[in-house]
Amino acid sequence: MSFNQETSTQKAKQDLAERLGIGEEDIETSSIVEKEFSDMSLGATVGDEMAAQMISNGWSINLNADGKNYEYRGDKYQLRLVDFDGANYMIKSY
Amino acid sequence: MNKNNIWIHLGVAVTLIGMAAIIGQVRNWQTEISNQRVNKTIRKVQKPIAVKRTLSESEPEVLVKFRSDVKLSEIKRIAAKNNDRVEDEIESVQNLVSIDDLDNLDATQVAKMYGSMTDLVEYAEPNYVINLEQEIDEVKDSSDVIADDISLFDDKASAPNDPMFNEQWALNNEGQNGGKAKAHLDALKAWLKTKGSEDVVVAVLDTGVDYTHKDLINNIWLRPENVPAYVDDEIGAIDDKRGFNADANSGDPMDQNGHGTHCAGIIGAEGNNEIGIAGVNWNVQIMPLKFLGRGGFGSTKNAIEAINYAIDRKKAGVNIRVINASWGSTQYSKALEDAIRAAGEQGILFIAAAGNSSTDNDSRPHYPSNFDLPNVISVAALDRNDEMASFSNFGAKTVHIAAPGKDILSSWLNNGFREASGTSMATPQVVGVAALIVANNPKIKVESLRKKLLNSVDKLDSLEGKVENGGRVNAAKALSE
Repeated sequence: MSFNQETSTQKAKQDLAERLGIGEEDIETSSIVEKEFSDMSLGATVGDEMAAQMISNGWSINLNADGKNYEYRGDKYQLRLVDFDGANYMIKSY
Repeated sequence: MNKNNIWIHLGVAVTLIGMAAIIGQVRNWQTEISNQRVNKTIRKVQKPIAVKRTLSESEPEVLVKFRSDVKLSEIKRIAAKNNDRVEDEIESVQNLVSIDDLDNLDATQVAKMYGSMTDLVEYAEPNYVINLEQEIDEVKDSSDVIADDISLFDDKASAPNDPMFNEQWALNNEGQNGGKAKAHLDALKAWLKTKGSEDVVVAVLDTGVDYTHKDLINNIWLRPENVPAYVDDEIGAIDDKRGFNADANSGDPMDQNGHGTHCAGIIGAEGNNEIGIAGVNWNVQIMPLKFLGRGGFGSTKNAIEAINYAIDRKKAGVNIRVINASWGSTQYSKALEDAIRAAGEQGILFIAAAGNSSTDNDSRPHYPSNFDLPNVISVAALDRNDEMASFSNFGAKTVHIAAPGKDILSSWLNNGFREASGTSMATPQVVGVAALIVANNPKIKVESLRKKLLNSVDKLDSLEGKVENGGRVNAAKALSE
């Protein structure tokens, strides 16, 4: 199993809808951008997790709900929510 | 000279020729045995068992360091009283245990609860584990890997015949591809002194290493017959033929990501074998230690387990002199610090990546590189023009040295090679030079090794105020008396 941009976006919408208690149809995809991240946690380590310090490719998924922006970061192995109420979250990893 | 003397001389000459022939044959046999050993190793590669684990089933939640006078039986009793279970003892740090909370409470809460027992506990911290579910792929059949003869190096030849060597600007920069001449480790000059030694063991603590890679296979550590298999108090005996996998608690540290294989190649891809690249060391033993999963991230607890393994092997007689740590985060862990200190007490240098956030580690610490320990070196990254890489962290007080870390060519999965960038790539350059120093001076102590690395740099204007010693590692200088 691995992620691609489409499956990551689906999973991100599903996650955000659950967190905010709204329907997925109320969430808009603002942008999906291919990006270089600072490390293999995509610059979003969680807790005391350690990450390989190699510049890594992935994508940044920006979702909009109620006028607010939420950023998810993903690559084929992982999907993370960045800086949600001050913390990062691992949504799923393979 | 009388006739009798002639016969005596002839007799001596015939005897010497005979002995030379016998010695030559014995060497041939040794080479054959050695090659058979390599081939046998390849055929014996085992496929790891597919593993599925879940957070609640297999991972401890908190690391607790009890005071030295608290006995293990008492620790277990305290854990049981709180409906917890001692999951593992971290042998290298006295009275450090990982505790599994059977109520599945929040790890921070559990750590706080133990931390409040100040008469019994020195510190307690959550061990956050991120993998919800992880599957391990089968390793591809390695029977097609060619085992080249173990090279006998010609000491007069300083430039290796590896076909991609010209792209390795970090080792020998002549200004190729827009680089600046001499912005390098000066490896050619260093190799006149030594190209490394198979007596030196370097642990690559990472995503594992592809130990079947054709440019690495001859430089992968194999547990000697006189060193017993590793025994973990909780897991039991592990057949650690080629290292350790703390992520799966097994003896198979096969890399599924590529990052660890890249670091290993920088340190010790076999040199002068007409394949791929040359490592800083043509000849060395790479011990693969895996704790980062296929995504390139992993838990602090598993990092500690792998360091614990290295310490155990050192005590068992394996000559581990350096650990490569091309990873990190901004989260401090006292338990990790204690484990690295314990490695230092066993004479192991710990060289760590400074991080890739372009930030100042003096004000925003990055670990493990920021641990203020006598066996830790923190490494920043440079580009091919001796400028600090735009992504590299820095720190006039906390980052000790810089090394090439941008567009670095090295080994990758499936017998491949690729360029990569990061302080991850700068760190193994320094580790490689450390291994050369040890090859040249096997009795050097860890403190002197660290000092030698830091005092033999090329000072660069670009590093002034950004790196403690303001310099780039230089292998040739490090080997000069």
